[in-house]
This record gives sequence, structure tokens and C-alpha cells, in this order.
Amino acid sequence: MTRYVMVADLRRCVGCQTCTAACKEGNGTPPGVQWRRVLDLESGTYPDVRRVFVPVGCQHCANPPCLEVCPSTATRQRPDGIVTIDYDLCIGCSYCIMACPYDARSLIDRPLYAFGDEPTPAEAARIRHQTSGVATKCTFCAKRIDAGVARGLVPGQDPEATPLCVNSCISGALSFGDIDDPAGPVADLLAENQWFRMHESEGTEPGFYYIWDKGTL
Amino acid sequence: MSQPIASRRQSYWDLRAAGNFIGGGSGAGLLVMAALAAFAGAPFRLALALGLAGVLLGLSLVWLEIGRPWRALNVFFHPRTSWMTREGIVAGLLLPVGLVASLTASALATAATALLAGGFLYCQARILRAARGIPAWRQAEIVPLILATGFAEGSGLYLLAGTATIAAITCALLAALAREAAWRAYREGLASTKLAQPSLAAFESASARGTRAAQITAMAVMVLALAAARFAPGASASLAAAAGALAAGGGWGLKAVLITRAAFTRPVAIPVMPMRGGGDVRAWRPSRS
Amino acid sequence: MSSAPLRESPPQAADNGAIRAVPSYCYNCVAGPDLMTVRVENGVATRIEPCHAAAAIHPGLGRVCVKAFGLVQKTYNPHRVLTPMRRTNPRKGRDEDPGFVPISWDEALDTIAARLQDIRARGLVDEAGLPRVAATFGHGGTPQSYMGTFPAFLSAWGPIDYSFGSGQGVKCVHSEHLYGEFWHRGFTVCADTVHTRYVISCGSNVEVSGGVCAVRRHADARIRGVKRVQIEPHLSPTAACSAEWVPIKPKTDPAFLLALVHTLLFEHERSALDLPFLRDRTAAPYLVAANGYYLRDPATGKPLLWDETSGGAVPFDTPGAHPALEGRYTVATAVTRGPDNEISPLEAASARTALTAMADAMQSYTADWAAGVCDIPAGTIRRIAAEFLDNACIGATINIDGETLPFRPVAVTLGKTVNNGWGAYECCWARTMLATLVGALEVPGGTLGTTVRLNRPHENRLLSVKPGEDGFMAAHFNATDRNGWMAQPSGRNAHRTLVPILGNSPWAQALGPTHLAWMFSRAAPTEWPTPNLPEIWFAFRTNPAISFWDTAEIGRAMARMPFIVAFAYTFDETNHMADILLPDATDLESTQLIRIGGTKFVEQHWAHHGVALRAPAVAPQGEARDFTWISTELARRAGLLERYNAALNRGAAGAPLKGEGYDFSLATDRAHDVDTIWNAVCQAATAELGGTAEARDLDWFKQHGHYVVPFKREDWYLYPTMVRLGLRFELPYQERLLRVGEELGRRLHEHGIHWWDRQLDEYVALPQWHDVPERWVQAIRDLGADPADYPLWGITTKVMPYTTGNNAGIPLMHEVSANLRGHGAVVINAATAARLGIAAGDRVEVRSPIGSTTGRAALVQGCRPDTVVIPGQFDHWKTPFAKDLAFPSLNTVVPMSLALTDATGSGADVVRVAVRKLRAEAGAP
Repeated sequence: MTRYVMVADLRRCVGCQTCTAACKEGNGTPPGVQWRRVLDLESGTYPDVRRVFVPVGCQHCANPPCLEVCPSTATRQRPDGIVTIDYDLCIGCSYCIMACPYDARSLIDRPLYAFGDEPTPAEAARIRHQTSGVATKCTFCAKRIDAGVARGLVPGQDPEATPLCVNSCISGALSFGDIDDPAGPVADLLAENQWFRMHESEGTEPGFYYIWDKGTL
Repeated sequence: MSQPIASRRQSYWDLRAAGNFIGGGSGAGLLVMAALAAFAGAPFRLALALGLAGVLLGLSLVWLEIGRPWRALNVFFHPRTSWMTREGIVAGLLLPVGLVASLTASALATAATALLAGGFLYCQARILRAARGIPAWRQAEIVPLILATGFAEGSGLYLLAGTATIAAITCALLAALAREAAWRAYREGLASTKLAQPSLAAFESASARGTRAAQITAMAVMVLALAAARFAPGASASLAAAAGALAAGGGWGLKAVLITRAAFTRPVAIPVMPMRGGGDVRAWRPSRS
Repeated sequence: MSSAPLRESPPQAADNGAIRAVPSYCYNCVAGPDLMTVRVENGVATRIEPCHAAAAIHPGLGRVCVKAFGLVQKTYNPHRVLTPMRRTNPRKGRDEDPGFVPISWDEALDTIAARLQDIRARGLVDEAGLPRVAATFGHGGTPQSYMGTFPAFLSAWGPIDYSFGSGQGVKCVHSEHLYGEFWHRGFTVCADTVHTRYVISCGSNVEVSGGVCAVRRHADARIRGVKRVQIEPHLSPTAACSAEWVPIKPKTDPAFLLALVHTLLFEHERSALDLPFLRDRTAAPYLVAANGYYLRDPATGKPLLWDETSGGAVPFDTPGAHPALEGRYTVATAVTRGPDNEISPLEAASARTALTAMADAMQSYTADWAAGVCDIPAGTIRRIAAEFLDNACIGATINIDGETLPFRPVAVTLGKTVNNGWGAYECCWARTMLATLVGALEVPGGTLGTTVRLNRPHENRLLSVKPGEDGFMAAHFNATDRNGWMAQPSGRNAHRTLVPILGNSPWAQALGPTHLAWMFSRAAPTEWPTPNLPEIWFAFRTNPAISFWDTAEIGRAMARMPFIVAFAYTFDETNHMADILLPDATDLESTQLIRIGGTKFVEQHWAHHGVALRAPAVAPQGEARDFTWISTELARRAGLLERYNAALNRGAAGAPLKGEGYDFSLATDRAHDVDTIWNAVCQAATAELGGTAEARDLDWFKQHGHYVVPFKREDWYLYPTMVRLGLRFELPYQERLLRVGEELGRRLHEHGIHWWDRQLDEYVALPQWHDVPERWVQAIRDLGADPADYPLWGITTKVMPYTTGNNAGIPLMHEVSANLRGHGAVVINAATAARLGIAAGDRVEVRSPIGSTTGRAALVQGCRPDTVVIPGQFDHWKTPFAKDLAFPSLNTVVPMSLALTDATGSGADVVRVAVRKLRAEAGAP
């Protein structure tokens, strides 16, 4: 089986938001909608304070709460674990947004543009990507993966078959691949390092792993 | 400790969505109350009609809220797991059955209406319960709270409709007490999760406190109405109507707060901080050495 | 040079029907350049992608940072100025409407050319000897990578005044530029991150402003286990990503670093230091006389050291000598050479080694003393010193490119506000000495210089090393002797007159005290003729009305400029004062070839070097024109075409067009089109790199993007060159600076100038602590205010989406930055905020005696309670989009004064402030 997962190495991430920008531009998401973003969190009390940058987005859960609540079956799950939204089915009820424990989904009522009411030529060129009135979220760049795989490329290894955020990540924090492929780009990473998944107690079985130290679990 | 983007207030469901829980909850509660009244021989047809109108109004409001209203029928596609689909299906049954009941006063139809109304209210409660991204909604105690609130609103509206019998006032008082108990359990449960600090703060806002005051006042006035029932029926009826308005309004306000003001996303929390260098550097030798 | 490229870049350009991929580069900040690909759909640039084809040669795997992803919005920004424009309102000022009206390129260029020709007819310099034409370019030389052949135009013109600063000295690591390059050819300085184990980082925000290569190198190092200790007042992303954060009181870093030096010298065995390095590669054994100057051999004038074998003093380069590193000695006969070449013969002269003199000077700087100054526990200081020493691996070696080199995996890096203004000299010296004491200067794992700008050639700093006097590298100071000193400034910032260490290379003037040009334009020192303002001021990719200190005053000074030509992207606060606006084709619209690789600013350490093309991905918007076309037309219309073409042939576009075995020279008698010029440059650059047979033309570059040949890793390090040339680092003792300072003081005083006396105090042979933060407290008093009313420190910091990107008008940068705490806000410690009655999101006012700025409060724990931080540079009032953000800017409240200017001419982004809640607007989200 193939199960695509994202791995974020929190030791590496510097919070630069390059992935955020690359995702926004590559997927043509409107202002305010971020399928990938990096949180800037702080814990502790001065002077014993830690600050950490946490890439977030759709966790492509094995047990997605969004899928469970979706009344229209627009939200689905592919055999490779990628959770998708069928924009032609979605009624835009936003219920999936409320059900996601990871705050990963968005919905806009009308098209939005960077500089106001009119799209720039670049926005106009990609307007088909901008979807209003339906829920949207990170797709793991599924179309890119599918096109790459069709050409015999390996997701997470070959840039043309890899999500844009991973391609853009300057610190090497983001990795992607088939967790069931022992020779793939993420298997060793997860085997050799300690990781957690967000809100593990939810039982959602996220496909998004956070590495925090070396060593095995 | 501060976590700047720890959680944010959801902005997708506004007063229109709250309207569905208000109209649907009150309407369903009123339908149940109407059925009880019917079996007790009290007036019920107006209540039935109003209850159905409430449900319909709520659904209409949510229809205005969704992004693609002309695809609304897609809501029925996922009965296997989606409480929203189930709500839609139950509503689809409730409205015609309720219409039949209100037109024919059939006992069977009235009983079915009450059952369906209860089911509809339960679906609404479970919709919130399944919203796992919003700690204030997903809390287990939300289910009795929504149910009790629906009954409290419905029985309050029944009193407001000018049909305040001792039994009706007692019913309303019991529903209000149930709501009070459900609210306390809900608040305690929410506080114990430690995931909903902003929500708890929102429940301390002036508007939220106002709605709570209305709820409590409603119970006090109901007691007065009961006490006055024997020696001053006219005053009792007025008191009951006022109490009913307070009970219903208090519920509506609380739901408006719950849906629009107290609905924060789940705070991001990571169980462990990353190790960023400072490990056993001595173990490393440059590959070129 | 290798005869063939190690890696032939595969074709990157793709043309898949409606979709094209165009190779390009991003050099928006000094930490670049990085390579990228522009995706073009049906003639419209839709997105930026990394240059995956460069993954094997680019240290950042061919990726670009977040700023590059703003270039699409930058291209299609509807607020762009897209036709040349002329000012119609002769009055200038912030409150004046310039009344810009569109004009044709012919009118614009002819107007400028007529002025240029008029100036040429009257003389290129005015009666005071100052250039009549001035130019200011933005951040760190990066505009040069976008100005096409404009350098050839400037070269063809002649003297130009580059002294009107746009942030230099206060926004850069200024003292590091000057002292770093002087001591170890390090215009910027970094850790050898790929080899190091332990980094003491005083405020160096490398994870934000270090660029793609540095971020990747540091991330890899963290995984490896490197320990970086971040010393700074607030918890920056770099502190966040460090193993330890040590909050230090602002501007007390010199005390911290001096205490580390003290601890190494006095609390550890001397044998724990790298004594062979000190003995052979530094001036530590040189004998220092009681008068502060080196004891010299009377016959040769060479500095003496004490030879333990012969038991006497011998010239430093005596073969077979075994120098004593420490001790006090009596030398029978010697001389010293003081200021103005004053030779003092000495008999039975008592002397101590430079290392002993240094130890004497450092004796009082204990960790316990520094603890009180810096607000850092003494135990922490001692531990850091011990960890530094423990990780230095003294005695270890490493093989690099077949050469065995010392392996000293410890480094000290300095951030901006540590590294400019008062205290920066002490920090630079102490940092370099920490490296020197353990032999970790310019060796693998240690503290490295990256590139040179005051010396040449810029492409290879090792080639800039020439033997100089006293066993050191040659230094090229501005003359301070009686005959050579330039009593009358040649530029409006007097860099050759006031700052000897700068020298006078092409970059020197822009690194002088550039705020003086602005200050003196209003009120010049009485000792000098009042400087006339330049008759034409060119400004490109610069916005000093926002980016300098005391921006209101800068704006007023700018409004007095008689004729400003601004290359304009959108309207902004600087070109608001302009007379002519010229819309240049921006990043994705124009052609240029630049050098890449080798070692560049910040942390660009490549194993290759070469050239990369920025090909136009899309046609210029509106009437915007390629900068090379603009430059050629200006040259033609100003009658400079022949000189302009000659400059191109000499290499003004980045590579000489004629070299050994190749000649791609352009005919000098005609104007060449853009592609013809860059075709010649492409071929010449590749022929220079790989030999004539390797020449690649413009079409090849449009397909392949870049061309590289190997760059030896050994060339990352200066140490082998020093050994090969038998040179010593000019450390620890600063005899040259002492002498030069004394001479400068004499010259100034001879001319009645005493207003630079404060700066003369910095010329000491061994840095001493002076109460650095107190200078900023005194500045409050100097402004007639009570320091008690300004109880907090105001400092600034950077965020990557904006760092030096000049992109405050790009909505995408704003949106993604909003994910970071403090964006557009005043960052304040939560406890301090509570004390001041400030809640998160409240609008607050940050005030200094010169003004105030307002913004939202962002409450954090990761900030000293006595410090507030205002990220970025905002407070825009004209730039579209940015002006609506209502963001605060520290620049608005930082006073600009001589008292806050150090000897190198730099200041610092520090000011004492008061913060209060704006009640009327409280509670804004």
C-alpha cells in the first residue's frame, strides 16, 4: 500500500514562511487562505522561554473528522491517504472546517485579490484555481503527485512529483513521501528520529509527523 | 505563557448558523411541548404551527449561510456518518408530518412529530458534538445542553403563546432547571479540558451574562407564576408569559454566544519542544577529517 | 582556473506550449544571490519555483527564500509607476503634492541629459571640490544586480558622490565591515557552520537574515548537534532555533565578550590556548614599549620580539627565533615609531609582549564584573567560556581538499546592533580575539570572513591579501599624515577625512558616515565650506526616507535636493521628492548576468563559482524599460557613449569583454541593444571562467541559466594564504589604529576641528570598556529630556519576508508575515505590559524625545522586561499598500547625532523610549 505523509522536522524549521508563500502562489489561494502555514508559538515564562515554529495544514488523517461530518460526501479519502474535496459536490456548509481539529480548512464567500477588487494578470491567469463558496485545504499537491507518478517519478524525491511546500523549504524541515516505502524519503527519517503527531489522542491518525529529536521512539 | 496563534475564533458560522440552532431548537422544543399539551388536552395546534415555523426558519437561515445554496440537496448524501445529513433527513420528515399534525390534529401524527422533533433536536446537538475543531462545541455535555435548551426554549414559547397552565409552567420550569443543570455540567466539563479558555472568557462577557441572567430570572418568575396561579390567575398568566419570553430569549442569546462568540478553534499544542542543537556534538566528526 | 565546468547545468528553460519556465535569480537581499525559475503561463508570470537544476551546486539546494515568491505580485502590482513622470510642483516636502504628470521617455531622458551636459560643461565637481552628481543605491550592493549596465554609465561620467546614505552604518554590520576586512579580509564574518561545533552568537539573526544558504547550513548543523548560544535582548527566530538563549541588556555585549576573553586568559591554563597560533600567526609576541608603540629594530624599523633561544630582542621575522609569547623584558637599544613617523630612540627600554599587554588590559573584566553590566549570571559567562574552549579542539587537524588544516570548531558571530555604533569596535576586537586565542580564526570550524569590498578583487578575497608592513597584510588606510590627509572632504560625508580605516576603494564612500551627508546638508561644520547639494541625485532601489534613522529629518533634507532622478517602482516616500521618475523593468522583466558562488556575503560558501542570467520572463509592464537600455540611452544623449562602451569593454557589466584568448569587445562608436551587450558579457564571462572554448552566448544562458566551475573549499579559509605568504594577523595589539588615531586627532585639531574628538577616543591599541549604554541615556539628556521619562530600550529586528527586500508594498509578504509574532507590532514583555496596563492588541505609542510611532502591542515572554522591539521598517506614508498598514517603525524615533556616531561613522538602532497605551483606540484586535 501507499500512504503519503508529510514530515516536519521542528529542529530545522525557522518560521520563514517560504512554504506558506510557495503554497499560496503555486496553488493560487486567495488572500487570507493558507493551506500551508507555519505557526509561531512560545511557551514558558521569562527568562525560561522557548519559541517554536510549527508547519501546519491538512494532516490527511487516516480517520478524518472532516470526512465524517461532510454532508455532501465532497470530502473523500484516496487509497494513498490523501484527503480530497470535490469542489463540484461541496455545498459550502463549513461543517468540515468546524470538525477539523487542525484548523486546516478555509472557505471564502467571493473571489478575493491581493490588490483589491481586480485580479492581477497573474491572478486572472490562475483564476480557475480560486474557488469560492466551497471548502478548500491542502491537497498534498495531489495533481502534481499524480502527474509525477504517471511519469515514473518518486514523490518526495523528484521535485516534479513533490508538494510545492516541500520543494521550497529552505531549511530542509519539510519532507514528503510514502511511509510504506522502506526505501522512500521519509521511512528512514521516521525510523531514526523521535516524532509525534498533533493531537494524537483524537485518534485521527494524522499523516503529518513532527520530528523533535534524534533517536528511536 | 502565551501562544500567539494558539486558537482563533471561528468566523465561518455567523448569526445565520446560530439562527438554525435557535429556530430549530426552539421549534423542536415547542413541537415536543405541543405534543405533550395535545395529550394533556391543552391547546397545541398553534404551538405545532409555530414550532414548525421555527424549524423552517432555522433551516432557511442556514440555507442563506452556505456557500453554494443551489446545491443544498447534496446535504442528503452522507447519512452514514454525517449528523448534518441526518438533521436534513429528519427535518425532511418532520416538516410534512408536522404539517399533517397541525392540520389534522391526528394523535399519531402529533406523536410522530414530537418524536421527529426530538430527533431533529438530537441531530443538532450531535452536529455540534461532532465539530471536533471547536472545543466549546465538541464537549460531551453539549448534547444534554442543546436538548435541554431546546426544551426550555420551546416550553417557554408555549407559555408565551398564552397557554400557561400549571402543568405547562411546571413543564417549563423543569425544562429550565434541566437546562440549568446541563449548563453547569457543560461549564465544568469545558473548564476541565483546559482547551477552551477563550470560550470560557466569552461566556463571561456582558452579553453572555445577560442571557444567563435572563435564564435564571425566567425560573424565578416561573416559580412566582406557579405561586400566583391559584389566587391570581391573570397575574400568573402574565408572569408565565414573561418567564417564557425570558426562558426562550435566554436560550437564544446563549446559542448566539455559543455559535458566534465562544467558538474558538482548538489551541495548537505540541507535546514536546524540539532539540535544536546542543546534543552530543562530540560524537560528530567532520566527514572530511 | 579549471578548463571545464564541473557541472554543465542542464537546460532549465522549458517551453511546453502555453507554459514556459524561465531561469532567473533572486538577489533582493545581500545574503543572495540564489537561483530560481519563473513559471510563465500564456505570457504571464504566475509563480516562482526553486532552481532544482542547481541543487547539486547551490548550498541551499537551488532554493530561494520567501521574498522571491513576492516577485510575481511585485511585477503585477497595479500601483507601479509605468511611465516616466515629471514633477509639476516645484515645492517639495512631505505635505506637498508633487503633481507628477506622465511624459515620454524622450522627454525624460533629454531633460536629464541636458542637465548632465550642462554640468559637464561647468565641471564635474563644484567649487568646494564636491561632485555635482550624486547617487544612492539600496541595500548592500544588491541594486547592482538589477541595474544592468548603469555602472558603465556611472564609470563613464566620472566623479559621483555616493555619500548620501540610505541605512548604511546603522542598518548594517558596519564595524565588522571595516575591522573584519582589516584583520582578516572579512567584510562580513560568519561561522564555518558546516564544520563548527559551538557558536556564540551575539544578536546575529542568521535564521532570518542569513539567507537560504545559511539557513540550510545552520539547520544541518543543529541536526548534527552543534551548540549555538544566542545572546540578545529578545527571543528572535535565531534564539528560538539555538540551544540556549541568554537575554542580555542592550548594548552591553562588549562587556560580555571582554569577560569571555578575561575568563580564557585568567581562569584557564595558558596551555589550553592555541599558543603556536598566537606565536606564529599573530603579533602576540611583538614587544610593546611603555609609550604604547612597538619596539622596533633601529636598523630595519621592524617590530621586535623576544627570542628565548638567544635571550634577546630580534626582528619579528628572524629565522630560527623562538619568540616569547608573554613576559616583560628590557631591550638594550630600540626605537618606536609614533604618529607622523616620529622615531623615538630608546635605551634599556622596558617592554612587554603584546599578549601580556592584552592580558593586563583584560585583567579587570571578570565574569562577576560583566554580570552586573550585562544582567547575565557570572556562572553563565564562565560556562560559555569553558564550553567555547572545550570545543575548540586545539591541536586537531582536518583534511580539506587534500590539505591538512587546523580544526577549531568554535566561532563567535555578531549581529547588527552589536556590530555598529559605540561598543562595536570592542565587540569586533573581542570576537576576533576569542577566535585568535584558540587558533580558530580563518580555519575550518572557526570564525571566517566571507568576502571583501574595501579591498579587491571582490570575487576572491584571498587574492586581496598582499604582504604589508610589520609582517601583516597590506592595509589601505586613508592618509593621516600631514601632507596626505585630505583636509577638505572629497565627498559630502568626509569619509576620507574622518575615517582612515575605510580607504578609498569604490565601496568606501558608501560605507563612510553617510548620515553626515544629510546632517551637513543642513548645517555644515564651520571649518568646512558649506557643501552645495548635488545638482542631480540618482536614487535606485532605495528609500532613505523610511530606512534611515530620524527619518523625518532625512525627508526634510531630501526635499532640499534641487533635482532628483528616481528609478521608480511605485510612488514612495523618497521619490515623493523627485523631479523625474523613471520606471525600470523589474526583476522578472529585464536581463542581467551576475557572478554567483565562491564565498559571498553572509554565508554563501559554494564549492563552485560562475555566472547566472536573469532572463526576462515577461515583457515589461507599461512603459517600463530595461535598465541597460536606459543606461545606454542616457550615455548616448549625454554624449558619453564612447566612454560608456569603453567601460563595458573594461568590465563594468561584470566581466571584461576582452581577455586572454578572447575578445568580445563592443564597438565604442554606437549604441548597442540590450541583447547585444549581454550576449558579449555572457561569452566573455564564460570564456574567463572556463577558457575560450567554453564561451556561452546569451541564448545558451536563456536555456541553461547558469554556468559554474569548481571553487576550492580550501579557499573558504584565509589561513593557508597567511601561511603561504608568511603573514601574521594584526592582532591582538592595535598599534596601527593607535598611531592613525593620534595622527587624525592632530590633523583635525590643526584645522580647529574638535567635534570629532569623541570619536578619536576609539583609537586605542587595546579596547577598554566604556559605559556604552550610558551614551544612549546621555543622548536623551542632550535632547533636553529626562531619561527617567524614557525608561525602556527600543530596538528593532528583522523578519525574513521583509529583510532588506524593499517589499513593504507587496500584500503576499504582509499576509505570510502575519503568521509571525510581532509583525507590524510593538513587541513587549507581558509582565512589563501588564505593569503599563497594556493588553495584547492594544494600540500603543512608542515615544522618544524626537517623535513617536504607534502600533499594536504584541505581548510575549521572550523579551527582556526593559526592552521593546519594533520589527522591520515601516511607518510608510506614501508607498501604496504599506501606507495603509499603520505599522510602527523604530526609525521614526531614533535620533541621529554626532554623539551617537562611532569612529567608523556608524550608529545603532537603539533608543531609550517610553511606551503608553493609546486609550482612545484601545482594544483593537
